[in-house]
Amino acid sequence: MKAYLGVDVGSVSTDIALIDEDGEVIDSVYLRTQGQPIKAVQEGMKQIGERIGKNVTICGAGTTGSGRQLAGLIVGADIIKNEITAHAVAATHIVPDVQTILEIGGQDSKIIILRKGIVTDFAMNTVCAAGTGSFLDQQAYRLDIPIEEFGDIALKSTTAVRIAGRCTVFAESDMIHKQQLGYSIADIINGLCEALVRNYLNNIGKGKEILEPILFQGGVAANKGIKAAFERALGKKVIVPKYHGVMGAIGSALLAKEAVEKKGSTDFKGFEVSEMKFETNGFDCDGCANMCEVVEFIQSGIVLARWGDKCNKWTNSIYDKGNTLKRA
Amino acid sequence: MDIKVGIPRALLYYNFYPAWKVFFNELGAKVILSQKTNKKIVDDGVLNTVDEACLPVKVFFGHVINLKDRGVDYIFVPRIVSVEKRRYLCAKFLGLPDLIRASIRDIPPIIDMEIDLYRGYNRNVDREIDRVGMIFTKDMRKIRKAKEAAIIAQNNYEKHLKSGLIPREAIRIMEGAKVVKAPDSGLLKIGLLGHNYNIMDEYINMDIIKKINDFGGTVITADMLKESDIEYGASCYPKDMFWTYGREMLGAGRYMLDSGIVDGVVIVTAFGCGPDSLIKEMVEKEYKRRNTIPILSLTIDEHTGEAGIITRLEAFMDLLRWKEVV
Repeated sequence: MKAYLGVDVGSVSTDIALIDEDGEVIDSVYLRTQGQPIKAVQEGMKQIGERIGKNVTICGAGTTGSGRQLAGLIVGADIIKNEITAHAVAATHIVPDVQTILEIGGQDSKIIILRKGIVTDFAMNTVCAAGTGSFLDQQAYRLDIPIEEFGDIALKSTTAVRIAGRCTVFAESDMIHKQQLGYSIADIINGLCEALVRNYLNNIGKGKEILEPILFQGGVAANKGIKAAFERALGKKVIVPKYHGVMGAIGSALLAKEAVEKKGSTDFKGFEVSEMKFETNGFDCDGCANMCEVVEFIQSGIVLARWGDKCNKWTNSIYDKGNTLKRA
Repeated sequence: MDIKVGIPRALLYYNFYPAWKVFFNELGAKVILSQKTNKKIVDDGVLNTVDEACLPVKVFFGHVINLKDRGVDYIFVPRIVSVEKRRYLCAKFLGLPDLIRASIRDIPPIIDMEIDLYRGYNRNVDREIDRVGMIFTKDMRKIRKAKEAAIIAQNNYEKHLKSGLIPREAIRIMEGAKVVKAPDSGLLKIGLLGHNYNIMDEYINMDIIKKINDFGGTVITADMLKESDIEYGASCYPKDMFWTYGREMLGAGRYMLDSGIVDGVVIVTAFGCGPDSLIKEMVEKEYKRRNTIPILSLTIDEHTGEAGIITRLEAFMDLLRWKEVV
């Protein structure tokens, strides 16, 4: 069986999805990045590699997410694409007439507006990460509640507690204040979900026409409390797709399929990459006053790529020597 | 020995450098330009500027500090009040020489020529130019010649910009270099809106023009449009926009939308810019209302992470191409 691999390396999670030729998901992995993207990708590749049978051949690989360049080098990607495009591709594949995509990830949140299957507008959070997954994580940790149970607890709430959602620092002090006043944990968590949704709609959803069908994806979509708060705020039905957590990876696999069809062959290195030795090394270039922080990517002692320099002196020093991996 | 005048490569440098250079050259002075914006210039600027100033002003300070150590006799920091009739510039241009003097110590004397064309080019303007000219020469004929040469240079420069060149290409041509524009057929046309000191400073915007080119686009800026086109766009709004560059952005944005000469528009603003916060909203609102040409808004600040800009720009170009196919 032919299959395509998609890797999405985000700030909080690293996801891998495997799809067949019809775009159906064969298998997927959702891992925590924990600040070590290389390790996370290798671990994910190992898990997927062990689970799939011998009769599956990987015909293409794609990467996305903020760690897409790094992941692309590790797996040997045929296409390296931004996460906005990847999410849109995956969503239209699953719900072809989707008109709005709400996506909340670990450190960024975005809204994508589509009409007739075409992206017509999108927005991403700018300077502020208030109301993204990592904040929920942090609060779950503080309250000593597993993040997986967060949403169910919120649904038990009976009274609405208003939490300031503009800024996470203020939200946290507001939560503590309400908790010391004696409100129940369920009410406070529900208040937090509502604050997060309010902030999202004000900040990212500002001026956007949110029409149904609405898809809610990203790691935070697992949180039923947030989904319910979105439905209350919008007065519309919100769909959480089955593979909501790995939509970026699915989109990336779909893009890889398309890229390989055009290209004819794949650069995929195989599941052995989970055993290879990858390192990164940083240095300050002293060539000019910019003092760029250059990063080297090393595979088993060989420098595969360098980046971070403004003049591309270091970047090109590698790409010129027959390495065809291009920055997408 | 020639007198050396330092010109900071920042703010309105992108709009008037050829005129300034010719003016000082004609007066017998040598012009020393600060280096291209780099990390040290930005760091120096941020450290030495009042906290609430916007990024481009901080960058300007960095350029002044860069010139300080280059052995120049004077630094040219004009007090630009107005560059056309009945319109003003942002207040920071008006107070620039004072801000510099108050914040940076031990710098060479500042030439704070006042440029105020609010009432047109009148006797006061002439008198001010003469005052500056007399720093270099007592020969009034020489000053008049320098003035005339500067105006010719400026007209030439603007002609180059109208022909589709960006400031760095136009300046290089005027200094005798050959610039060959790559043919732009088949590329997506991107309207790039923003102050020249934001969209033309390769360092602070992480070379957005090159990124657009790499993603298969070619840029059209307000400078490349005809004045009548900008006038048309600006007149679509009930009230006259009294900031020169704000009006340019607003008018160009509206003209691009109505004429459809571009496939998409990227609007770049500096975090903390007062006028832009208003203009950006006005431009964006009309684009969103019509929903015919996609618009992307990018905010630049001191951060140097390129990933944010690349992600948004790449997704935006994908969006435009997606539209094209169907």
